[in-house]
Amino acid sequence: MKPDHPEHDHAHSHDHKHAHGPHPTREDDDVALSYGEARFLALKGLLIGKGIITADEVRRQHEINERGTPHQGARMVAKAWVDSAFKARMLKDAKAAAIELGIEVTEAELMAIENTPTCHNIIVCTLCSCYPRSLLGEPPAWYVSKAYRSRAVREPRKVLREFGLSFPDAVEVRVHDSNADLRYVVLPMRPPGTEAASEAELVDLISRDCLVGTALPGRNTVS
Amino acid sequence: MRIVDLKKAGHVRTPIYVREKIGTIDYFCGAFENPEERAYGRVGAGRIPLYRVRVMQRDLWPDYGGADNDSLLLEIYHHWLRPT
Amino acid sequence: MTDRLITDIGGLPADAVPREEVPQLFWEKHMIAMFNVLWSKGIFNLDEFRRMVEMTPLEEYKKSNFYGRRIDGMSELLIEKKIIDRDELAAQTEEILRMGTRDHVP
Repeated sequence: MKPDHPEHDHAHSHDHKHAHGPHPTREDDDVALSYGEARFLALKGLLIGKGIITADEVRRQHEINERGTPHQGARMVAKAWVDSAFKARMLKDAKAAAIELGIEVTEAELMAIENTPTCHNIIVCTLCSCYPRSLLGEPPAWYVSKAYRSRAVREPRKVLREFGLSFPDAVEVRVHDSNADLRYVVLPMRPPGTEAASEAELVDLISRDCLVGTALPGRNTVS
Repeated sequence: MRIVDLKKAGHVRTPIYVREKIGTIDYFCGAFENPEERAYGRVGAGRIPLYRVRVMQRDLWPDYGGADNDSLLLEIYHHWLRPT
Repeated sequence: MTDRLITDIGGLPADAVPREEVPQLFWEKHMIAMFNVLWSKGIFNLDEFRRMVEMTPLEEYKKSNFYGRRIDGMSELLIEKKIIDRDELAAQTEEILRMGTRDHVP
């Protein structure tokens, strides 16, 4: 829902500001009250009034949700690059590997998909917006767009070119439609020339889009 | 395996674009509750096998413009699969 | 050929993927949190929610966005389960819009 111009000041209280994860948030002070928000506030008030939920439960869940950030995925990938035993565990059971790092993945199943010199992977959910949220946070707007959901399965190479990526035919482009119970994260290849980098420096090379398959670590141009 | 079109109304998670296509089983995901039942409040019923199935893109789209080797993987519940 | 669910859009023609980063609004985050609480408590399950979204009229679905679908689907599902009443939700929504108040912390 696109914000409209501000209409009026109103006094209201809201939660203390907490550190923003990589997923951008903004307070809605300068955004006119939309129908969707009004409906949400009405629904929340009714459910609390009926004793179905409490405001505290919603707040606590919000705080839990905020823990999901692309940084968590980047940490897993960087560790996989420097520790081949961890990488093997991550490929076997990504959820257990995440938990080793203190990352609370709550999806039923999480699978890491490895990019190789002969295969580049890209993730989509054509039917809705399935995404490993407890690991990575909320998906970007492009991931939940109808254009991506429609086209990523049919013309992945064209979609990847829109993201600045292009692969020769010898490299398979493999699409994963997460239409059921598994959630996926891409384990990209370690960029050449990073042999001397520390694990922390490697983390910085790995963006959110690298973990979905629409970017390559350490660069954002054609490969 | 063939991903059949069960022509089932209501909530299903087998996309139209893979129906009546041939693929190969890539991975057994385990057993999960059937979303076709859960969507109507019928929960706690028996779990059914779920498989990752690999289909070649050239088999999915007559006008596929990518490489011959490109493939797509998705998850299919066992009742949507028949041996070829 | 079976009727296609409105959400089953894999392979349909579409325009360029919109690349703009759209920050999540404060209310949207809290709405998602409330959604999570409801299914965690077993008030509804995710498959029921997806079914409700699939029942949206096509023209409405085409104009919808992710957060709109979430709040509308969730509302319709709670109405179907008779946990809330359609009229009371509409009345409360209108009241909030009329007063223009916004209270993130009830």
